[in-house]
Amino acid sequence: MARSVTPRRKAMFTIFAWAIGLIIFFPILWTILTSFKTEADAIAYPPKFLFFNWTLENYVVVQERSNYMHYLWNSVVIAGGSTILGIIVAVPAAWSMAFVPSARTKDILMWMLSTKMLPAVGVLYPMYLIFIKLGWLDTKIGLVVVLMLINLPIIIWMLYTYFKEIPGEILEAARMDGASLKEEILYVLTPMAIPGIASTILLNVILAWNESFWTLNLTAANAGPLTAFIASYSSPEGLFYAKLSAASTMAIAPILIMGWFSQKQLVRGLTFGAVK
Amino acid sequence: MTIAEQGRPAQGRSAASSGKRPSRLFRNPMSKIASIPMIFTAVVIFLGGTVWTVIYSFTSSGLLPRLNWVGLAQYDRLWTSRKWIVSIENLGIYGICSLIGTLLIAFTLAALLDRKIRGEDTFRTIFLYPFALSFIVTGLVWQWILNPELGLQHIVRGLGWTTFNFDPLNNPSIVMYGLLIAGLWQGTGLIMCIMLAGLRGIDEDIWKAARVDGIGTVKTYIRIIIPMMRPVFVTSLVLIGAGIVKLYDLVVAQTSGGPGISSEVPAKYVMTAMFGGQNLGQGFAASTMMLVTVVIILIPWAYLEFGGKKRG
Repeated sequence: MARSVTPRRKAMFTIFAWAIGLIIFFPILWTILTSFKTEADAIAYPPKFLFFNWTLENYVVVQERSNYMHYLWNSVVIAGGSTILGIIVAVPAAWSMAFVPSARTKDILMWMLSTKMLPAVGVLYPMYLIFIKLGWLDTKIGLVVVLMLINLPIIIWMLYTYFKEIPGEILEAARMDGASLKEEILYVLTPMAIPGIASTILLNVILAWNESFWTLNLTAANAGPLTAFIASYSSPEGLFYAKLSAASTMAIAPILIMGWFSQKQLVRGLTFGAVK
Repeated sequence: MTIAEQGRPAQGRSAASSGKRPSRLFRNPMSKIASIPMIFTAVVIFLGGTVWTVIYSFTSSGLLPRLNWVGLAQYDRLWTSRKWIVSIENLGIYGICSLIGTLLIAFTLAALLDRKIRGEDTFRTIFLYPFALSFIVTGLVWQWILNPELGLQHIVRGLGWTTFNFDPLNNPSIVMYGLLIAGLWQGTGLIMCIMLAGLRGIDEDIWKAARVDGIGTVKTYIRIIIPMMRPVFVTSLVLIGAGIVKLYDLVVAQTSGGPGISSEVPAKYVMTAMFGGQNLGQGFAASTMMLVTVVIILIPWAYLEFGGKKRG
């Protein structure tokens, strides 16, 4: 609960909060602004903040050089697919841990979460071999599966948290009325947990969207998502800041827009239901 | 979210239901079946993959994995490599600073912001934005800001402070702090939001009681509020820890390990050995060492945090 303060102090804290917010937001803002500058304006001194020749030239050049829509589509499929697959696997698991706990549930949850802390490089090569065997290298299906596995612990953890807030009596009542397990999960539990599931989906789309270790190592031209798109601009063309900014802006725009329109779920999702 | 405190209700519930059904193993078989996909993936991928890597770290695998046993030769080579030692030190510096820095900054900000502020949702979203960016983008943006010719140093000098010197990315002794700034920028907002949520969960009456007893604000935070927020801190630690081990993309995007080898990190060492140096065995040995380190840090902590309470 927030503590009551005098109006003057409150105004002071508001200004302080916005100042911090501005500092944090500045690098992103600067990148977006730079993407509309010419290369000369981008490195001009003193830096031009708003009064420069606004141009879309960088976007045109970036689009000519690499097909943005191709990468965007890959990102959408990979992030969306891995999240949906993850939810399908995680809902039953979280259900069983939240409503039919055993003495070991806590250990299993902890053990699962600890895999998040294991170094990914430790399983990269075995994964690579599996991918070669299955012919999954540089395919979207392969990445969907890998990113699902990577984010599964977080998905289960979040869903478990939300499910635990639902009283078990309601499920019991459904069972009394003769609902089968499938009906119980699909028609009773899932609708009640929709806000939690929505937050989980949102967070995992963001995590999968940004995942760069696995996407860069397991894809090439065919299935590369936006992280590969931006990485391709980073090394050789490092000096063309306006174009790099345009590529970065294109890569982050979908996530920033999505975040803005789903603020409530995003904050709830990122704070793991700690907000009561 | 609170793993630390879920033991009691869970056990209470299972004790109540086990009275009705006699056999523990066959009680609610559907729940076991429901967890199979999860357990299968965890065992096959994480455990299987890790064991495979550990086994092959004792071989002389070069371009392809081969089972030619060489004992601990790869480890000997690893620990005589200057690059590996630098990598470990760098990750240590980054890890400790990022852990302390994130917790301190995030908690201080959260405590200061725990007032009813206009437009809170909006600026909370702004705080979370850096987290919504890929490390690749973060690395590139900060590479630019810290660039002496274009970024911060240039601008501050232009404002009149001509001796201002801040060029971490080209200075081997402080390059890790250049990475740290970018890492903190990306990670602190999330932790701050979690802490803010935790502070919101604390009852107003506790503040009133503390005020009646004449306890100062700072002291109330340290002695009363922080201990009450233990589960929140556990969550934060898990997230920060996962972020530290992941430190790779940021380095690649921001410094590529340079100048020289001064910002190498273990994950990058592994990648270079496996795909650049075509020395798989060396890469496996290095990733095994990373694994062992994580386990050494995790096990005592996990035992204290979760094992102790089971009996109590």
